[in-house]
Amino acid sequence: MDMHGLSEWIYATALSAAIRDNAWVVPAVQSIHIIAIAVVMGAALVTELRVLGIVAPDENLTVVAQRYLPWMWRALAVLLATGLVMIIGEPDRTLSNVTFWIKMALVSVAFLASLALRKPLLDSTRAAREAPAKGLAWILLALWVAVIFCGRWIAYS
Amino acid sequence: MLESVHVLAIALVVGTIAIVDLRLLGYPSHRRGVRQLVRDLVPYTWAAFAVAAVAGSLLFISNAPKYAHDTQFQWKMALILAAAVNMGVFHLTLYRSIHEWDERSPAPLAARIAGATSLSLWTAVVFLGRWVGFTL
Repeated sequence: MDMHGLSEWIYATALSAAIRDNAWVVPAVQSIHIIAIAVVMGAALVTELRVLGIVAPDENLTVVAQRYLPWMWRALAVLLATGLVMIIGEPDRTLSNVTFWIKMALVSVAFLASLALRKPLLDSTRAAREAPAKGLAWILLALWVAVIFCGRWIAYS
Repeated sequence: MLESVHVLAIALVVGTIAIVDLRLLGYPSHRRGVRQLVRDLVPYTWAAFAVAAVAGSLLFISNAPKYAHDTQFQWKMALILAAAVNMGVFHLTLYRSIHEWDERSPAPLAARIAGATSLSLWTAVVFLGRWVGFTL
């Protein structure tokens, strides 16, 4: 089944109809999506600026990671759930949209990079041994910014 | 483009101020002391708010009469004003005696109320902002 067939199939389901027929569902879910984006951005900003030594250079990097990374994982789970509701409600707006797939690729890279580069910071002995590369901190922040831009752009492409 | 900048700036406003609000409510952040946390993060909140306000103003100018008559938009502006008043009161009263409760977590009741108010108002601002997109 191709993407168009898949989105037609989703569109025909009762769940999709229910999401569309209740006018408040889509804006409410989008609002929750934005709040969760704010949590990811807040967590990413403080963690990356700490890695860069711009914010709280005197605080232990492992403590910073322990405080913020769990919030990032939880918010990403909320983003996935609310994102799925939006896809089910308006499958053609997303699944047939190039910008949407670029966003999904960027989210995957940003998530996997955070997992690979920042989760090890939770282990204090490891964090003390290997100082994280500063260039990568900027790249991670740039990735999240690009994700937000793509998200808004889905509505226009 | 303007909308993307607006959303990014809002994410940074809400994301940074929520860390301070949650610390007042007793959720730990990267700083034990509230004063140091405010110093670390609030400059970013202000910078992001300035960007959100400029991008928002440009969006407003693009369709001023419609925005001005939109109920959700009017409420959004009112709640941003309320958030500003809440912050002003916090700084002029509780924050003056910060040295007495800087390390306390959760913060004293009055500061917890200020934090919960800020968190609720900014959440409502995001919801109203999204609703403007559907009612305009």
